[in-house]
Amino acid sequence: MNHSRRNKPTLSVIKQTLKMHPVIIVFLALLLIFGSIYPGSFFSPINFKAILRQFVTLTLFALGPSFVVLTGRLDLSYVGVWMLGGVLVWLCKPVLGMFSIIMIPVTGIATGLFIGVIQTKAKIPSFILTLSLVVTYTGLSALIAGGYPRAVDGYEFITAPLIPLIPSTFIWSIPIIIAAVFLMKCTRICVYLNAIGSNEEGARLAGINVDKYKILAFMLSGVFTGIGGIILFQHLGGSAQVELKLNTIVWPLVAIVLGGTPLTGGSGGPQRTILGAITFTVFYRGLYLSALHPTMITLLVGIVLIVSIIISARGLKGVTVT
Amino acid sequence: MNDKLLEVKEVYKTFDGVVHALKCVSIEACENEIVGVVGENGAGKSTLMKILVGVYSPDKGEMYHKGKMIPFPRTPKEAAKRGISIVYQENGVIPWLKVYQFLFLGHEDKYIKYMKLQTVRMKEKACEILEELHVACEVEAFMHELPLSTQKMVEIARAILGVRLESEDGDTTPIIILDEPTAPLTDDECKELFRDLLKMKKNASFIFISHIIPEVMEFTDRVHVLRDGNLVAKYDFSKEKMTEEDLFRAIVGRKSSEYISRSEDRGAADEEVVLAAKNLTKSGHFYDVSFDLHKGTCIGFFGPTGSGKSKIIRTIAGLMNYDEGELKARDQELKGDELPHVRLTRGIGYFSGETGKELFLNWSIAKNISIINMEKILGKLIPVIHFNAERKMAENIVQKLEIKAPSVGTDCYSLSGGNKQKVSVGKWLERNPDILLLDDPTIGIDVGAREDIYEVLLEMKKKGISMILVSDEPKEYSILCDKIMFVMDGRIQKVLGPEEFRKVMST
Repeated sequence: MNHSRRNKPTLSVIKQTLKMHPVIIVFLALLLIFGSIYPGSFFSPINFKAILRQFVTLTLFALGPSFVVLTGRLDLSYVGVWMLGGVLVWLCKPVLGMFSIIMIPVTGIATGLFIGVIQTKAKIPSFILTLSLVVTYTGLSALIAGGYPRAVDGYEFITAPLIPLIPSTFIWSIPIIIAAVFLMKCTRICVYLNAIGSNEEGARLAGINVDKYKILAFMLSGVFTGIGGIILFQHLGGSAQVELKLNTIVWPLVAIVLGGTPLTGGSGGPQRTILGAITFTVFYRGLYLSALHPTMITLLVGIVLIVSIIISARGLKGVTVT
Repeated sequence: MNDKLLEVKEVYKTFDGVVHALKCVSIEACENEIVGVVGENGAGKSTLMKILVGVYSPDKGEMYHKGKMIPFPRTPKEAAKRGISIVYQENGVIPWLKVYQFLFLGHEDKYIKYMKLQTVRMKEKACEILEELHVACEVEAFMHELPLSTQKMVEIARAILGVRLESEDGDTTPIIILDEPTAPLTDDECKELFRDLLKMKKNASFIFISHIIPEVMEFTDRVHVLRDGNLVAKYDFSKEKMTEEDLFRAIVGRKSSEYISRSEDRGAADEEVVLAAKNLTKSGHFYDVSFDLHKGTCIGFFGPTGSGKSKIIRTIAGLMNYDEGELKARDQELKGDELPHVRLTRGIGYFSGETGKELFLNWSIAKNISIINMEKILGKLIPVIHFNAERKMAENIVQKLEIKAPSVGTDCYSLSGGNKQKVSVGKWLERNPDILLLDDPTIGIDVGAREDIYEVLLEMKKKGISMILVSDEPKEYSILCDKIMFVMDGRIQKVLGPEEFRKVMST
């Protein structure tokens, strides 16, 4: 009598998973290709560690924005939060001591709330809003720090090795990843964010407070970027950065889209972003080992972004790709 | 007869204190029946339904539930507590949610434990309700994977479920309002939907809003007819014998006094055929439409909304593709996938009465007129815009049509509705196309301005411009048209002359 709880054979479960996350195929294919081209260096402990390190960077930057992308909007403020937060840590260190690290999550939450309210109430496109905010934050960071990076001591314990071969930052990011996936899979928040991205008018008719959940999406993005920022702060050198790098903005976006969350919203979310991040990392490390010129690598990254955007846009039209 | 489940009496509603949307309307719904509410656009159907579900509050009126007087609901959630819920005409479905997620959307609070959604329990409950209501679909499927009719059924199931979850006493029969549920469906999908609806009758009562007469005749038990905010008729199909034409007349109403004979304005019909259609078909919208449009004449497609008449005109304008058939302008074949701007170069213009579509409101009158008359004001040698010529062209039109505006540089949004419409017509007058398609040319403007628009259109017709008219106003057909085609369910039923048309409408 029950149509859904039939015991599905394992094969069809795998099939279903691959259909929903085609990026897994890409991931396995990349492993196979790079593994057979450089069997020695690709599966070496050094490369393994490098992959994990880069995965941490990408994931912590991309987790927060995936909540926003799910609603069909875009949040680029993660780089700004990381930079301004870092500079504020440096600024407050003499006063707050070790607790000054709290400035990064505070910046994140405040930024998320600010963007969310402005975006929903003033109806400004989120892309342009967050982009200008990043530029503003860059300027502000440089102004406060006096124009050059400032080293901050005292947080080395974050990167202190715990288990051989595995970077400690990776271990610290696991609870954050679990929290994001729990929010996505098990609470109503992500049903609502999904609904808004899929059909905003419909969500409104279904009696959902659309504005509230849009602001919440931006705040979640700020919270995750902020907490991730604590780890990233030490992970990326333990100093307050004041220079905006294109790669730090673009790579998390690639991870989100490659993972299968279309920029138009409505499906996907953080759990796919993790898959996207690991796939992109493997791709990047493979190219890195090939000793291609860095400009070549940038070109290829751009092409990957374009291709995955096209594929995910097709997926939304009903061709089940993403 | 069954007990009355829900009854509203003498509901009044005005907007801005001026527009009477509803005047003394009473309707009732009994247990386990499908009640139809029919009427034209603007008859007040939607307003009435929005009052029932708590989106609007009425100015005056009473509401009874099982004979007990209750206050009108103030929010959709309160309405659900009283057992009333609505399935909207469009935009109700959220394509990227799974069926069970969609069913519980907005009611998740009943299924949360320690912040965690109890998905297993939700899925079980979803299975149960789908089984009970005979909706055949997997709860794990995405909404967009289901056929349209099943999506509608899931929406209805969602409405019923919402009532059950919210209502205080468990065994209220839900009253589900269906706002034109068949509008996006094809014929087969409609049949499927109705078959399932009849099965659902034992679980709920339905208020069925529609203007498609055959489906109302076939599937509802009783029907209320609204016109201009009044309840004009009430029929019980089990007691009264009615034909589709009776109902049609009740909906449209007779507007006997207003027909003005304008036969002297009609130019002599030319033999030259400027547009010919043969068996034009777009499945789901219209079938086998054939006609010849002669030079300087006007054809009207007449029928209730949803009959496919506006789809026909949109197809000719190049806004929609057609599946089969042949469309020819003079000797050129018009392919289905041609875009509107290509059609315009072939001399076919599309004039929509909605000024929002037709005008750039933050532009000046002059710019709005020159936008489709660019060639006339471009320099001969170097194609740059001559602003003097643009101004003169606009001044000419403003004078001819007596548009009341300070100057041709005035922005269009500051003009009155009638004057805006005149600017839209004016640009087509200047353009002088072979064929002008009129889609509700006088929608939303007052009587005086209408007369002016008719005059301009008739003058254009005399000059040899052929026209095709689609409108909600029967009077317009008898003024402008030389031939009127009755469209029902996407097929041409009858072809009448203006005199016959007037007779039919007044009896």
